[in-house]
Amino acid sequence: MLKVRENRAALNRKIEASRVIVGVVFAVLATSYWYTQIVRGDYYFTQSENNRIRSVRINAPRGYVLDRNGKILVDNEPAYTLYLYRREARNLPSSIDLASLVLKVPRDQIKARVERGLRDPEFLPITIGENLGIDEVAAIEAHAFEHPEFAITVSQRRLYTRGPAAAHVLGYLSEASLDQIKSAENGYKLGDWIGQKGIEGAYEGLLAGVNGERRVIVDSHGREMAEERRVEARPGQNLFVTLDLGLQEIAEEYFKDKVGSAVAIDPRTGEILTLVSSPAYDPNWFTRRVSAKEWGELLGDSNHPLQNRAIQNMFSPGSTFKVFLAYGALAQGLVNPEETVFCPGYATYYGRTFHCHKKGGHGVVNLRNAIKYSCDTYFYALGHKLGIDGIAKIARSFGFGSPTGVDLPYEKSGLVPSEAWAIEKRKARWYPSETISVAIGQGPVLVTPLQQVRALAGLLEDGKLPTPHLFLASQEPHSGKRLRYKSETHPGLEIDPAKLAIIKNGMWAVLNEPGGTAYGSRIPGGEGGGKTGTTQVIGKETTIRAGADRKKLQDHAWFVGFAPIENPEIVVCIFVENGGHGNLAAAPLAKLLFAKKFGRPLDMPESPRQQRASAPVAPEKPAAVPAGRIATAGAPR
Amino acid sequence: MIGRVSAVPRRLDLVILGCTVSLALVGILFVASTTATGRLSGLATRQAIWVGIGFAGLLVAVLFDYRMLLKFSFPLYCFTLVPLVYLLFFGQRIQGVRSWIRYGGFQFQPAELTKIATALLVAYLFESEDDGRLRLSAFVKIGAIVGIPFLLVFLQPDLGLALTFLPLLAIGLFFGGLPLKGWIAIVLVVAVCAGGAWFFLKDYQKQRISTFFNPDQDVLKSGYQVRQSKIAVGSGGFSGKGFRSGTQSQLRFLPTPHTDFIFASIAEEWGFLGVILVLGLFATLVLRALTLAGVARDRGGVFLILGLAGVIFFSVTVNASMMIGLLPTTGIPLPLVSYGGTAVATTLFSIGLILGVHYRRFANA
Repeated sequence: MLKVRENRAALNRKIEASRVIVGVVFAVLATSYWYTQIVRGDYYFTQSENNRIRSVRINAPRGYVLDRNGKILVDNEPAYTLYLYRREARNLPSSIDLASLVLKVPRDQIKARVERGLRDPEFLPITIGENLGIDEVAAIEAHAFEHPEFAITVSQRRLYTRGPAAAHVLGYLSEASLDQIKSAENGYKLGDWIGQKGIEGAYEGLLAGVNGERRVIVDSHGREMAEERRVEARPGQNLFVTLDLGLQEIAEEYFKDKVGSAVAIDPRTGEILTLVSSPAYDPNWFTRRVSAKEWGELLGDSNHPLQNRAIQNMFSPGSTFKVFLAYGALAQGLVNPEETVFCPGYATYYGRTFHCHKKGGHGVVNLRNAIKYSCDTYFYALGHKLGIDGIAKIARSFGFGSPTGVDLPYEKSGLVPSEAWAIEKRKARWYPSETISVAIGQGPVLVTPLQQVRALAGLLEDGKLPTPHLFLASQEPHSGKRLRYKSETHPGLEIDPAKLAIIKNGMWAVLNEPGGTAYGSRIPGGEGGGKTGTTQVIGKETTIRAGADRKKLQDHAWFVGFAPIENPEIVVCIFVENGGHGNLAAAPLAKLLFAKKFGRPLDMPESPRQQRASAPVAPEKPAAVPAGRIATAGAPR
Repeated sequence: MIGRVSAVPRRLDLVILGCTVSLALVGILFVASTTATGRLSGLATRQAIWVGIGFAGLLVAVLFDYRMLLKFSFPLYCFTLVPLVYLLFFGQRIQGVRSWIRYGGFQFQPAELTKIATALLVAYLFESEDDGRLRLSAFVKIGAIVGIPFLLVFLQPDLGLALTFLPLLAIGLFFGGLPLKGWIAIVLVVAVCAGGAWFFLKDYQKQRISTFFNPDQDVLKSGYQVRQSKIAVGSGGFSGKGFRSGTQSQLRFLPTPHTDFIFASIAEEWGFLGVILVLGLFATLVLRALTLAGVARDRGGVFLILGLAGVIFFSVTVNASMMIGLLPTTGIPLPLVSYGGTAVATTLFSIGLILGVHYRRFANA
């Protein structure tokens, strides 16, 4: 026993040494923990708080959009999103199988989504599917026990209840672009929806509301354990728009197989009752995430369905322009309403022959009948007298050449040519012969349908150009407090009622007198007046020879009108691209709108085509003697 | 061979026993804290049962004469290697590792028993080596004795468990009297091997090796674990967030808070005080074991205590360092405290062996 102990002296020295090693190691450990917990304790405590407390946004419900009678146009519906928490997944392939089965999405696609998600930190859920239907939600919930890894959240999705109806008025939602995120004040984040174009774009601030916030305690899976603080969201305002759904639907139906646009406003206030741009798109596409293919189709469509033709398409106004020139000239005293011009079917200016649309000529016409028959010869003479700058002055006083100020983004302002414009933009002198074309609304003068209704409303409403608008009122969803739009007008020409009456009479005759260019579109009871127009498609003959689509080379059809004659309540402008003549392509919609607006029956004794054939061509009050300079100007060679 | 039971309490070392009981209780408490809810609830009861089994084992180890075990250590050692070989070929991977034998609802890690058998065999080897200088034959023997199970476990691949065999080798060499030249040679060989590997292996090969041993632990993930563990420890501060109130542990930001990272849970909920308590208990246990080694009756007993205490010391150090990022995450649990039936029971058994050596420190016992 003793011997054993003596032999172990060396061993015992080493044991003593190792006591020191053990002591030092434990001291180092204790010091390290002291440093981590005491010295750096506050830092790590903040970190742990950041871990466990997460700020979750409460999305403010977006306001509804309703028509002027309270019919809902834009609603919200629940949308479900399926997430996968990878830590909970016991068997990832079987999770993928289930998701693929329920969502009816190929397995590979689901797998790709999962694999993309695997790159993110583990506690972040992987988005498997969006916009799930309620049946799909039920199918996933039924497997909740075997598949605890799936989580479903509900959010609000925008629903355009009537699909493509009034699409260009309403606009659509899409994910906020980087520029919008940078510029907007409401704190948009990547992936947030934001209103684009239309009402959604123009009134984003009102509709979006103010998001709330919840501070929640979460576990490492991001699952909520408790709520610490809550600031409720302020829902967006409900928005009443000026549209009359009844009229809108008639116009949509009319344009189903046509390309073009129609606008109807209340001339007294500028409220837009109808705004159609055709072809349209379904704004619901965007909220369901358009695929690249669908986007391509939408953008590649030669008819540009995304464009709002009522405010973005500029065309020559054709004969509808004559109304404004006629009043302008009359107001300036340049013409006497009873002065007549003889129309042999053509006139010659600057050595060039200008044809009237009626080959045989209208004979002797005064101002009223020149409007009724849309006699080109008469207006050639008028234009010659006014000169291009005179025309431009009149056109500008009716608001042409400048935007209407409508509450829709991306409005075009059209073009009113003048001598100064020619020199500045074309770097060439204005050719006086062009003036003759502009006098009948052809050539470089360009207008939008919305400018047309504003101009006509201004003429009818004592020269006050109303600002067209869609905003009628907004309503606080909780308090019901309403905010109404205050109508505004721009001063234009001062209107002489006696002179206006002559123009109105001519426009009445267009619709209601046999021989008027839109006689076929009159409504029983004789309400309303209007003016047809036709815009020539430039370079027609050459392109036909080149073998282009014949349909695309037809003239564009215009119609502007109002009703009733005294104290008008509605002004319309209808534009049908490649529709042919305004009488046949555009005016019938005005008739439908007027009839609906005033509750008139539509039954007509004859169809427009028969009517045209039987309409008497001769003016009812032929003037015997051509008189004045106008007559000489329009005289046959 | 079996002593009188009535004499047991007087001759048992109460310091070690007290530390052991305290640590096992802390373990049960924190397994309960970290597994109170969810899929893992009920683990505390299991842990308590294993602790009970372990204490029974401890008593058996005290009463059974360790000299008998030393005598039969070679067959025991060989016997415990069999399941390791079996696992390599037929083992079922659980979390990527073939280290568990499953029977019904019962799981067992045979390598833990191998560790005790290896400690016994190392001790038996040094019982007859008494000239204070390690001979080459002994050097080779101890290398093989520790190397074989190390390699078998390493291939499972359970790096953490394999590493816990290494203190047996280190202790054998240190206390067996490896001369300075030997240590220098070992350092050189290791350096050359590591350096050679560094230069000759291509990047993708290094990548493959690391993914082989850590199949589902990418760099980002282990970085996340260490980060969360440091936050848990640091946010505990001086006195902790309170039992069962640790946000990192309870909300599961802390990975495996009931097994490998249980010490971070303790640090979070009991703060620096809890850390000092646990580290203090371990330090007392290890230092006391060294004292007992000094008064052991024979060299076999000395080396048995040194080996077993060394394994505990090594595990505690590596585990506690892992929590605050001083050492890389290797999957070594905290002895006696971390959840794990086999580990707790075998650790208690090995403490029983330490106590048993002390129990029989007198020649006539």
